Amino acid sequence: MTALLELEQLHYRFPGGAEPALRGASLRLEAGRRVALLGRNGAGKSTLLLHANGLLRPSSGQVRVAGEPLVYTRRGLLAARRQVGLVFQNPDDQLFSASVAQDISFGPLNLGLDVAEARRRVAEAAALCEVHDLLDRPTHALSGGQKLRVALAGVLAMAPRVILADEVTSGLDPWMRRQVFAIFNRLIAQGVTVLLATHDLSVARQWADLVAVMEAGQVVAVAPSAEVFRDAELRRLIGADE
Amino acid sequence: MHIIDRYAYSNAIRELDPAQKGGLALIAMLFCLALDHPAVGLLTLVWMFALATLWAQVPARAFGRALLAEAPFLLLSLVGVALSVSLAPLVSPALQLGPFWIGSSAESLALATRLFTRALGCAAALNFLILTTPLLDLIELLRRLRVPETLIDLMSLTYRAIFVLLESLQRMATAQDARLGYAGPWRALRSAGLLGSQLFLDAYRRSQRLQMALESRGLAGPLRVLPLDYRRDRRARWFGAALAASLLLAGAWR
Ligand SMILES: Nc1ncnc2c1ncn2[C@@H]1O[C@H](COP(=O)(O)OP(=O)(O)O)[C@@H](O)[C@H]1O
Ligand SMILES: [Mg+2]
Repeated sequence: MTALLELEQLHYRFPGGAEPALRGASLRLEAGRRVALLGRNGAGKSTLLLHANGLLRPSSGQVRVAGEPLVYTRRGLLAARRQVGLVFQNPDDQLFSASVAQDISFGPLNLGLDVAEARRRVAEAAALCEVHDLLDRPTHALSGGQKLRVALAGVLAMAPRVILADEVTSGLDPWMRRQVFAIFNRLIAQGVTVLLATHDLSVARQWADLVAVMEAGQVVAVAPSAEVFRDAELRRLIGADE
Repeated sequence: MHIIDRYAYSNAIRELDPAQKGGLALIAMLFCLALDHPAVGLLTLVWMFALATLWAQVPARAFGRALLAEAPFLLLSLVGVALSVSLAPLVSPALQLGPFWIGSSAESLALATRLFTRALGCAAALNFLILTTPLLDLIELLRRLRVPETLIDLMSLTYRAIFVLLESLQRMATAQDARLGYAGPWRALRSAGLLGSQLFLDAYRRSQRLQMALESRGLAGPLRVLPLDYRRDRRARWFGAALAASLLLAGAWR
């Protein structure tokens, strides 16, 4: 079975960065998985996610989406972004429109869908993320949790097969977190793969079926969460030990 | 900013097509400017107050406060027109102040009155519009009027950025305050300077992340979004006609 998303031996150094941010990071995601990406601050989690979406281009290594190598042209990037959606850590960085409905419609229209289809996608994504009653509220009047769900809806409206979420649950209260995970679980049931970068070990333990661990620009392990928590070295890397 | 925004989003005609609300305000302003008569300005004020409070259900207090905020600017510009300062008593009545004579003539007073009522009418019309129509809808209206897309994108991004920046501003100021950053005038000055540069950096970094986020959703040239849905109200036409007719009558009155 070909993987939905393959990152192979990615190397990357930020312009002006002293150390490389990625040194041969590899990851393979199949359909319908729930993956937690762990690793201390600066391990390279965000950088890896930006590569998966074609926002950064590796100096060496390859990104493959549904078996096809990512082509860094406008068209190639759009094809990849149709399949791989990225939710940023701070929804205020992602929501650009003062209108919730218009913000969610941005992705579908960029995919070249007509107005009627885009409207349908907006309604569907808004219902899935439980923001349908916020559609005509101004963005700046929303709470943090509401903003996150709107940002998520904006990505889901493009109907991607992989959702990459960068530490989105960190600032949420327990109720909001449950709501977000309920959305994730609904997506997974539809065959979407969800990868969540997080520092929350209970998420890795209870929610994820696969845990990827990053350290110094490499993915040092990808394993079922029980295995990761048994391994003394991995426990140390994810901060599970005192 | 916040207070106007609040009514703009919560008034009774929020859902109304901004073209209708904008049309009413435009009629009022055009007549105020074209018909040079104090009664027109005053009648416009009455009309706009009535539309805002009775039709849109904006509290009279909010309308009054917006107008009061503008009043000093109006009055200040009037003083220059109504009064003349000279070294000799050219007009009467005139008041001597040291070597200067400050005076006012019947003509200049009449001119000032006309200017004031005119400006008042225009201000009232604008207040009606911004108290009932969120900026978002006004931008949408401009989009429909085929204003260049770059300009539209710039306006909508700026509008959104204002609120994000206000939030950072509040957060940073609170953090400084908690560490006694505003105890004493010198420290306050230093803190304010620091805040300004921080805010600039914050805005710059945000714009970079926003760019990435937009690209990840397939940004391609202008920001494409769905048009907003509005309700149209047939009464708006009648209001427009009655407004125009009554202002014409007032302008013809001698
Ligand atoms: N915009 C940037 N410019 C330069 N260096 C960066 C930038 N973003 C991240 N880095 C560096 O890249 C490394 C990986 O960062 P990041 O991917 O953000 O880690 P994580 O998300 O796991 O905390 C860090 O050493 C960080 O300092
Ligand atoms: Mg990160």
